[in-house]
Amino acid sequence: MGAFFALGIFQGAVYGLLAVGIVLVYKAKRVFNFAQGEFGGVAAFAAFYLVVNLGLPYWTGILGGLAAAVAMGLAVERVIVRPLESASRTIMLVALVGVALFTIAIIVLLGQPVPRVMPPLVEGSGVNILGAGILPQQLILLAVLAVLAAAMAWFFKTDLGLAVLASSQDTRAAQVVGISPVAISRLVWGMAALLGGIAGLLYAPVGIFTPGFMTLTMLVPAFAAAVLGGMTSLPGAFVGGIAIGVVQNLGIYLLGQQLKVPGAAELGVFALLMLVLLIRPQGLLGKEA
Amino acid sequence: MALLEVENLRAGYGSVPVLHGVDLAVEEGSNAVLLGLNGAGKSTTLMTLAGLLPVTGGEIRYDGEVLKGPPGARVRAGIVLVPEGRHVFPALTVKQNLRLGAWTIRRDARRLRGNLREVYAIFPRLEERADQLAGTLSGGEQQMLAIGRGMMSSPRLLLIDEASLGLSPKLTEQVFAAVKLINQRGTTVLMVEQNAGVLAQADTAFVMQQGRITVSGSGADTLGDEAVKAAYFGT
Repeated sequence: MGAFFALGIFQGAVYGLLAVGIVLVYKAKRVFNFAQGEFGGVAAFAAFYLVVNLGLPYWTGILGGLAAAVAMGLAVERVIVRPLESASRTIMLVALVGVALFTIAIIVLLGQPVPRVMPPLVEGSGVNILGAGILPQQLILLAVLAVLAAAMAWFFKTDLGLAVLASSQDTRAAQVVGISPVAISRLVWGMAALLGGIAGLLYAPVGIFTPGFMTLTMLVPAFAAAVLGGMTSLPGAFVGGIAIGVVQNLGIYLLGQQLKVPGAAELGVFALLMLVLLIRPQGLLGKEA
Repeated sequence: MALLEVENLRAGYGSVPVLHGVDLAVEEGSNAVLLGLNGAGKSTTLMTLAGLLPVTGGEIRYDGEVLKGPPGARVRAGIVLVPEGRHVFPALTVKQNLRLGAWTIRRDARRLRGNLREVYAIFPRLEERADQLAGTLSGGEQQMLAIGRGMMSSPRLLLIDEASLGLSPKLTEQVFAAVKLINQRGTTVLMVEQNAGVLAQADTAFVMQQGRITVSGSGADTLGDEAVKAAYFGT
């Protein structure tokens, strides 16, 4: 059982990393960003192409992958988000689902839907944590999540972070003090894409990956993590991610292996989510803004 | 030469024209008032000056040069709008609101601190409520915050849109007194008002009707002007 607990923590770190980006966009735009996973998908495939297909050094893969993700983020902002600025949030949400599906389709077209193996950032065998073999890559992932969640929480205390919050609260007032809403919008989507790209680059080497690996398996638990944490809280995204990972894996162990309940991981996640939302509708660490 | 010169200004919302050739001039250091009824085009004038609406005809000259560029550039040039309806950032604290008022001078920590002290001196209530969320302030306090936020970037020309809207007579008096003080300390002020009581403190007054200036003169003269009464009562 300890092994499942440990696996859950590290699985949850990926959810947390995606959730940090989801929370950023939500705080800034009040939009549920369903394209967050594919920022990671694009980064992972770009890095794979550079490192494995072209045989370039690993750091070029990282830089190229992040650049691809940020380019995608800025393109999404310009082509999808900005024209829909005054549309309803539902239309925006559907458009962003469309972005995710479109991106997956492009990746399939360019790269064939075959499983790929990305070499890890750091080679080496797993370490034993509570009986689970945890890869160095997963340790890095957890550490990066902690650093990024803290960095983003700090960002919202800076002038620039306040300007992002201010723009979401009252665009007119933001303009009146001299903040450019367009510059803020670009900044937010660029940062969200960077965060998504980091998640994809770090998670791809943990197992085999296929087109859509971030969106199809990671995005829903990541949203659960963001909601669990309170949707606007960055420490909440961290805590929520890990809680979802742990509950998923304990669900697999307790309900799945012991009681043979099918779909045990999902059952655990949604049971937890419902319970938290019943008792604390604002989420674990939720506040305004 | 006046600090602000508006000549035959035309502007509006999309294809709906509101201003049909506005002429006015505001001298440096003066307190000017733009009066008129709802829909006369007063707010449209201020928003066009602040760069929130495009100019479709005529010209705005500020400090001798044709004024153009996005709202941010105008704030940097010293033209700051205190918008109608306060528009404070509701989920940020009073202090954070003021800090964002200094957005264009945010790298000048000394000037920022000096401006903050000055705003707190004019509106001691804001200092008492520094850590309170702006959305929880009363209407009068929000108006003080909106004006204080406008002062944070050390403007040369402060455009104040209907500061008295929804305020009690007593609070209106307080807000007008604060604006008078700001003006006396050297900031040029152009106020849009429906409350003609503000004329008592105005150096210059303009009356607006249907997108044009119909009366202009000194504040005291305008106070007794029959045309002003006509503008208000439609006789």
